[in-house]
Amino acid sequence: MADKLQKYSKKLPNGYEIEVVPLPGYNQVYGLAMTDFGSVNTRNGELPAGIAHFIEHKLFAKPGYDVSEKFAEYGANSNAYTSYTKTAYLFQTLDKPYENLKVLLDLVQNPHFTEENVASERGIIDQEIQMYLDMPEWVLEQRILGQLYPNDPISQDIAGTSESLQHINKDNLLDTYRQNYRPDNMDLVIVGDVDFKKIENIVGNSNFHEVPELKPIPKQVFEPIGTGGHESMEITQGRSAYGIRINADVSLPELVKLQFELNMIMETLIGEASDNYEKMSNLNIIDDSFSYNVVAENNYCFIIVSGSTNYPEKFQEYLKKHLSFNELKDVLDEKRFERIKRDAIGSYLFAQNSPDAIANQMAELYFYNVDYLRLVSLIDSISYDDVLRVAEQFVTDDNCTYYNILPK
Amino acid sequence: MRKSIANNVVLNVNPIKKFRTIKIQIDFLRPLSKDETTKRRLLANVLSNSTKHYPTFKALNDREMELYGSEINVYTRNLLNFNDLAFSVEFADPKFLLHDINQLEENLKLLGEIVFQPNLQSQGEFDNTAFDTEKRNLMSNLASVGDNQDLVSILGLTSLLYQNNPDRQIPIFGNIDQLDKLTNKELYKHYIDVIKNDAIIVNVVGDVDEGEFEKIFMNSMFADNIDGSRHDLKIHFDKFDELVESPAKKEEHKHLNQSRLALAYLTKKIDQDVSRLAPQAMNLILGGDDQSQLFLQVREKNSLAYSVSSSYQPINHLVTIQAGLDAKTIEQAIDLINKQIDFVKNDKFSDDQIEHAKKVLDTRREISSDSIQHYIMRSIWETVYSKSLLNDEQFKGELNKMDRKHIVTVAQDMSAIAQYRLIGD
Repeated sequence: MADKLQKYSKKLPNGYEIEVVPLPGYNQVYGLAMTDFGSVNTRNGELPAGIAHFIEHKLFAKPGYDVSEKFAEYGANSNAYTSYTKTAYLFQTLDKPYENLKVLLDLVQNPHFTEENVASERGIIDQEIQMYLDMPEWVLEQRILGQLYPNDPISQDIAGTSESLQHINKDNLLDTYRQNYRPDNMDLVIVGDVDFKKIENIVGNSNFHEVPELKPIPKQVFEPIGTGGHESMEITQGRSAYGIRINADVSLPELVKLQFELNMIMETLIGEASDNYEKMSNLNIIDDSFSYNVVAENNYCFIIVSGSTNYPEKFQEYLKKHLSFNELKDVLDEKRFERIKRDAIGSYLFAQNSPDAIANQMAELYFYNVDYLRLVSLIDSISYDDVLRVAEQFVTDDNCTYYNILPK
Repeated sequence: MRKSIANNVVLNVNPIKKFRTIKIQIDFLRPLSKDETTKRRLLANVLSNSTKHYPTFKALNDREMELYGSEINVYTRNLLNFNDLAFSVEFADPKFLLHDINQLEENLKLLGEIVFQPNLQSQGEFDNTAFDTEKRNLMSNLASVGDNQDLVSILGLTSLLYQNNPDRQIPIFGNIDQLDKLTNKELYKHYIDVIKNDAIIVNVVGDVDEGEFEKIFMNSMFADNIDGSRHDLKIHFDKFDELVESPAKKEEHKHLNQSRLALAYLTKKIDQDVSRLAPQAMNLILGGDDQSQLFLQVREKNSLAYSVSSSYQPINHLVTIQAGLDAKTIEQAIDLINKQIDFVKNDKFSDDQIEHAKKVLDTRREISSDSIQHYIMRSIWETVYSKSLLNDEQFKGELNKMDRKHIVTVAQDMSAIAQYRLIGD
């Protein structure tokens, strides 16, 4: 391979990881600060749902200014997002990368939660929650997660609920922030033309807060998988989801490998190049919205298969019957395996066109002790036998469930 | 390299080394017609389902995977007063691959098969499975449109804006009634018409040698199919004068958690002494980003919306505003939106806001060139309507000449012409 991406990295004594990737020819510099903390981290429900997302919104508020103004002053646009297990803050700029980096550090290092600013944010987030409640795909994802992980924080909307927002206040925001925005729980990725030494210097001299004593996290125990369910919404087209919970007790880097292996299994069994996809399509069980998603994050590992359908029962029956180790054994030969591997390598190259994709993937993989630049080697190391072994172990019909949303 | 290779057929090759992929895109254009919009969308889907040599969806997808995950994309979109049926393939640049593979020729061949070697049942009909599957898929997609409330509100506004233009009344993705009646034979007949008569723009972006690509292209099946009379691309602009006199309004009710508001305003064509970038700067100050009046006043200060923004469409001089709101506060929000428009009209904005708008325009332009699609779109505009483009020097000139008077002029000449409300109750 020619012109591989290069990376410069350093872990500060306080545990904060810095990674810089030059991207020759690109005009922009993209910066991203991530913390290994997301919507599921509610200390087993002790904290109100949506608190991670609320922190993400409200960290922008500082005494007398909003951080987005500072980014704008230095010509950058900025954003942030919260996922189930991570929260990220980012900027994209043409110039003044070092000034913008200082703003990014100010954003994640200096909370300013007040009763007034927390109260005003509730109305905004409540509108966000209402918006998602009108999206059937989004509702379906929460419901199937509620079946896969009953009563677990992952089954709640990332933004929480109108009710849980009422329990979020400046004190629990600050306490939760301090517990989770620790330098050893965060990383920073800069993609673009910058001087690594300067970056290191700026971050090293920034205002990391004193790390409080860590509260012990209650042991997470998952309830048994739900038996499935359905509900009606004011929609024109029904949606179905089939979920598989993977009880994977593996190390973090192995979890990333497992995610690739599970993706290869699903691609073989129900991907667009599978016999099953063609059959389900010809039987009119699915349309082209049909897709699957493999998630392997921290304690959670699951697969959700979903799409629009007019025949939810047939949709579920078909998947239950055909998502199996035996079927995989029959259809996965060496030639197909090679194709699927090539496809995965291609996806990796496609992502390298985009500074934001590089930064986001690299920042997240750090928390799994996986080097983004070694992903091709990791994919290449997966053998045909590995995939069969994973399928035999995890793709069974006693760890699956379903949810349907039907038109009223 | 940019050259005309046949009547109304243009080839653009843009050799750029910074990307890890190469993209080839072929656009087929003809004037929008209400009777053809649904056909062209279904045609896009049927042609990308399978080909003569890859006669099933599975076989075609297998081929894409063999080529390291090549991405075939066929779709239709509105481009000025044209329907653009675009075929593209994006693929990994072979120099980044572990194994040597002739990506350029193989992918061009695959794209050629999709365009010119369809999967036929018999002479005059597409393969029945491909046709039936894609018709069913499109039917299902069209049925789902009503479940996407943001799209419903955009379509509601569009329908009001183009009430006197029947060709614009059918959404670009088609219409259920037309689709229901469409037969395989009719679709094939339209396909033949497209291949013979549409204007064609070919674009290649990535690390390719211009001469080598031209040679490969002119020896491919594309070269055998490009002759023909082919449509001239005559541009027409929609007029909204009647709506200035009598703005259109519509309100619909649904069982929803959140209401949606979509507003449209017409700005006047600007005089030569006013910066061509003034409408875009005005839009940025009004609602174009998170420093705008709408974001700061409607969302941040009054907590009335999570999403509220404006955008400017330079071709038809329209400013549109979209917001997701609580039904109970919709009047309050409209009042606040109107106050923000007055704020700009009455020259209340600061010098910092002007500087910010200028900075954002410059940054967006530069950052957009970090994507392959930017080069393809720029090349298409260059071919279809080059007057809409500014080169770097012109852009800097327009940016430097812009002052607050220009922005105020644009705002003062802005008229409300349509309002669509989707009320959740």
